[in-house]
Amino acid sequence: MSKPSVGTKKRDFWWMCVVPLYLFTLAFILGPMIYMVAVSFATNNPSGYGFQWIFTLENYLRIQDPTYLQCFRQSFELAFSTTALTILIGYPYGYYMGRLSPKGKKLMMFLVMVPFWTSSLIRLYGWLILLQAKGVLNGLLQALGLIEDPIKMLYTYPAVLVGMVYALMPFMILAVYSSVEKMDWSLVEAARDLGASPVKAFWTVTFPLTLPGLLSGVILTFVPSMGLFFIADLLGGNKIVLVGSLIQDQLTRGSNWPFAAALAVLLMAMMTLMIVVYRKVTHVSELEGRL
Amino acid sequence: MKRKAFKFGSLLLALVLLVAGLSACSGGETEEQMVLYTWEGMFPQEVLDGFTEETGIKIIYSNFDLNETMLEKLSAAKGGDYDLVIADDYIIEQAVAQGLVGELDKSILTNFQNINPLYQGQFFDPENKYTVPFGAGIPLIVYDPEAVDFEITGYSDLWDPRLEDSVAMIGNYRVVNGITLLSMGESMNTEDTAVLEAAGEKLLGLAPNIRMIQDDNTQNALLNGEASVAFLYTSQVTTALAENPDLKVVYPEEGLGFGIMGAFVPSAAPNAAAANKFLNYILEPENAAQCFNWLGYYCTIGAADELVNPALVVPDSVTSGEIVQNISADAEAVHNKNWIDFKAACGA
Amino acid sequence: MKTKKLKFSTVYLWIVTLITYLPILLVVIFSFNDSKLTVSWKGFTWRWYQELFRDAALMEALGNSLLLGGLSCLFAAVIGTLGAIGMARVHFKSKGMMEYLSTLPIMVPEIILAMVFMAFFSLIGLPFGMVTLVIAHTAFCIPYVFMMVKARLVGIDKSLEEAARDLGATPNRAFLDITLPLIMPAVVSGCILAFAMSFDDVVISLFVTGSTLSTLPIKVYTQLKTGVTPKINALCTIILMVIIVVMFVWSFLRKEMDQSKNKPKK
Repeated sequence: MSKPSVGTKKRDFWWMCVVPLYLFTLAFILGPMIYMVAVSFATNNPSGYGFQWIFTLENYLRIQDPTYLQCFRQSFELAFSTTALTILIGYPYGYYMGRLSPKGKKLMMFLVMVPFWTSSLIRLYGWLILLQAKGVLNGLLQALGLIEDPIKMLYTYPAVLVGMVYALMPFMILAVYSSVEKMDWSLVEAARDLGASPVKAFWTVTFPLTLPGLLSGVILTFVPSMGLFFIADLLGGNKIVLVGSLIQDQLTRGSNWPFAAALAVLLMAMMTLMIVVYRKVTHVSELEGRL
Repeated sequence: MKRKAFKFGSLLLALVLLVAGLSACSGGETEEQMVLYTWEGMFPQEVLDGFTEETGIKIIYSNFDLNETMLEKLSAAKGGDYDLVIADDYIIEQAVAQGLVGELDKSILTNFQNINPLYQGQFFDPENKYTVPFGAGIPLIVYDPEAVDFEITGYSDLWDPRLEDSVAMIGNYRVVNGITLLSMGESMNTEDTAVLEAAGEKLLGLAPNIRMIQDDNTQNALLNGEASVAFLYTSQVTTALAENPDLKVVYPEEGLGFGIMGAFVPSAAPNAAAANKFLNYILEPENAAQCFNWLGYYCTIGAADELVNPALVVPDSVTSGEIVQNISADAEAVHNKNWIDFKAACGA
Repeated sequence: MKTKKLKFSTVYLWIVTLITYLPILLVVIFSFNDSKLTVSWKGFTWRWYQELFRDAALMEALGNSLLLGGLSCLFAAVIGTLGAIGMARVHFKSKGMMEYLSTLPIMVPEIILAMVFMAFFSLIGLPFGMVTLVIAHTAFCIPYVFMMVKARLVGIDKSLEEAARDLGATPNRAFLDITLPLIMPAVVSGCILAFAMSFDDVVISLFVTGSTLSTLPIKVYTQLKTGVTPKINALCTIILMVIIVVMFVWSFLRKEMDQSKNKPKK
C-alpha cells in the first residue's frame, strides 16, 4: 500500500490510536459477552434469586417448548415483514431525496432528522391517539361516511407492523440517500445517451450503484426490529410475545437469569449467522448511512 | 521502546483518571438526602416538598417499573443505596427473606398507631416490625353497560363468548392466574400443580376474548372504546369512574383478591433515620389524606379515614378477600408457564 | 429546465413526510388538552406546561439525560474516531474480530445489551449510577461514530495526505491539517446520531441506572400504575421547538461562515 520505508514509523503512531478502542471493547463488550455465555450454562436457583455455577444444558433444552419456538418464529416473521415494508417505502424516499436540489436535500434531511429527537415512546403514543377506536382516524372515516362502526385497528398485528416500520424508516432512508448522493450520475446519462429507457437505465445502472446503501439499510432495520419489543407491547396490546419481551420477562418477573442468557445467546447466534451469510451473499462490508 | 511504553501508560492513566473523576462527581453530595424508590407518581409533589421544607432533607425520587426490577436492584446493591422502598406485599416477603429489609425505628415513628390495624400483621410482616402499609388495592371488573348486553357478576363471565376480543386485562400474572383459580373455586395461593395446570388450560380459553394486556393505563382502553370490559387495579378503577361515571363496577361473586403496598427501609439504607422521619410525616392524617386522594388507592391509615375521599375507605366486604402470597417454586414455575402460554395464545 | 408540473417524486416525499409527522403533531396538540387522559379533546389549557416546570424530578431527569448524552458522545467521539483512523492503518490479525466486537452493540437487540451490562456491572461490583450509564451508552455510541468516520476515510483521497508529507509536513501535521478537517463532518454526524440514540434509550438505561438517577425516557416509561400525563407531551413539544430553533440557527450560522470564508477568495 504505502512505501515500506515509512511503514514501520507510521505503524508506531497509528498503533496508539486503536488502543482506547481495543481496551474499551475488550473490557466492556467482550468481557460481558463471555460472562453472559457462561451464565447461560449455569443452574438457576429454584428458590428465588440468583444462580449456581453448576453446568447444565437445561436452559437451552427448555427453548424447544412450542410456546418459546412460536416466540422465535413470530419475532423473525415480524422482523422480515418490517424490513420488507421499510425497503418498499424507504428506498423510493431516499432515492427521490438524493435527486433533489441542494436546498431541497437540506430541508428533507432536516425533516427526516427531527423525529429522531422526539422520544420514540411518545411518538408511539401519537399512534395510539391516531389509531384508537374513538381516535382521529376512525373519527375521520366515520365523518366521511366510509364506515359506520369504528374499526378495531389498535392491538392488532398490522398496528405493530406500522409502529415498527415507522420507528425504523429513518435508518433505511439515510442509508439509501447516502449512496444515491455519492452516485456518479454521468453513468446514468451515458446509459441514456446509448438509448436505454429511463426504466432500463435505472435497473442497469442506478439500482446496482445504490445497492450498497439499500443492503446496509436492511441490516440497520432488521437488527433493531428483533429487539423493539416495547412497540409490540404498546401497539399490540402485549399479545404478540417476541423474544425480546420473553428475555425481559425472564430477567424481571421470571427471575431466571440463566434461561434469559440462553435465549439471548441463541438469538445472537442466529442473528450473527444471518448477517454473516447475508454479507457473504451481498458482499456488503461497510454500513452506510450518514446525516 | 521506552517512549512507546510511556505513551501507552499515560493513555491508560488518563482513562483511569477519567473514570475515577466521573465516579467522584456522582458521589460527592454533602446535603442530607433520602432516596425514595417506588413507582412513578406515588406522591403528590406538595407532600414531598412539605417534608423537605419541614426537615431540610432532600428527597431523591427514584423509580422502578416492576416489583421484580426493584428486588433485582436492591439485591444487587445488597440492601444499600436506597433509603425507603414502597412496593407490593408479596415482593416485600421475598425481600425480608433475603435479609434486605431493616427494622423500623419506632422511636421516630410516633404516629405508628395511626395505621388501620386491618392491614397489619399480614403474611409479609406478621409482627409489624418492617413495614408501614401504604395503600391497598382490589383489582375489580369494570364494564360499559352500553357495550355489554348482559350483566357481569363474576370472573366466570369474562369467559363468555359474547365478549370476544373485548376484554382489557392488567398484566399481573399472579392476579390473572388467581382469578382463574377463584373462578374454579380454588384458592389463589394453591400449590397443587395439577390444579394450577388445569387453571392454565382454562386460561387459554380466555385468550380469544382478550383485546389487550397492559399493566399501565389499562382504563384508557375502556374509556376510548377499545374494550367493553376491563379487569383493573384500584387506581385505574378510580380514574375510569372519574372520567365516565356510567361505567359499572363489579365486586366479583367468587371473592376478591387484594393487595397491600408497603413501605420499608432497606437493611443497609444510607440514611435510615430520614426514611423513618418521612414515614412518620406521611402517617400524619392530613398528609396521609393528601397522599391517598392523589393516589386513588384504598386508605390504609385509619386516622385519615374522615379526611379522605369516602370512595377510598374500604367497604366491609374487603375483609373476606384473599391476598396473593408467595408460593412454592414449583407452583411459581407453573404460574409462569401458564402466563407465557396465555400471552402467546392471545397473539396467535 | 424545470417544469411547474407537480412531479410524482415531490408528491411522494411530502405524503410520506406528512404521515411521519402526524403522530408527532397529535402529541403536540394533546399537550394542550384539558384532560389527564389522551382519550378525547376537552378544551385548551396551558396547565401541563405550568405543571411541567414545577416538576423538579422531571427537570432533573432531563438534565441527567443531557449530561449522559453529552458525556457518552464525547467518549464515543474520541474512542470511535481514533479507532477508525487507527484501524484504517494498522494490520493486526485481531482487527476483523475487533471491528466486529466494537460494532456489536448496534448489532444485537437492546435488551440483550441491557442484560449483559447489568450482569457484568454487578459482577465486577461497579455501583449503578452515572458511571455505569455512561459506560453502557458509550458502548452503543461508539459504533455510530466509528462507522461514519470509517466510511468517510474510505472516501478520502490518501494522496492528499501524502502530498502534504512530500511537501515536508510531519505525519502529525499532515494528519492535523489534512485528514482531521476532512473527517470532522463525519465525526459530527456520528455524534449527533449517537446523542439522539442515547437521549432516547429506555431499555438499557432502565437496567443499568442507579438508585438516585432517572433519565427522561425512564421517567416516561415508569409512569406505570398512574398513567402518562400530558406533562410529557408538553416536554416533548418544548424539546421539539428547541431542536427546530437550534437547527435553524445552526444552518444560518453555517451559511454566514461559508460566505465569510468565500469572500476573501473572490
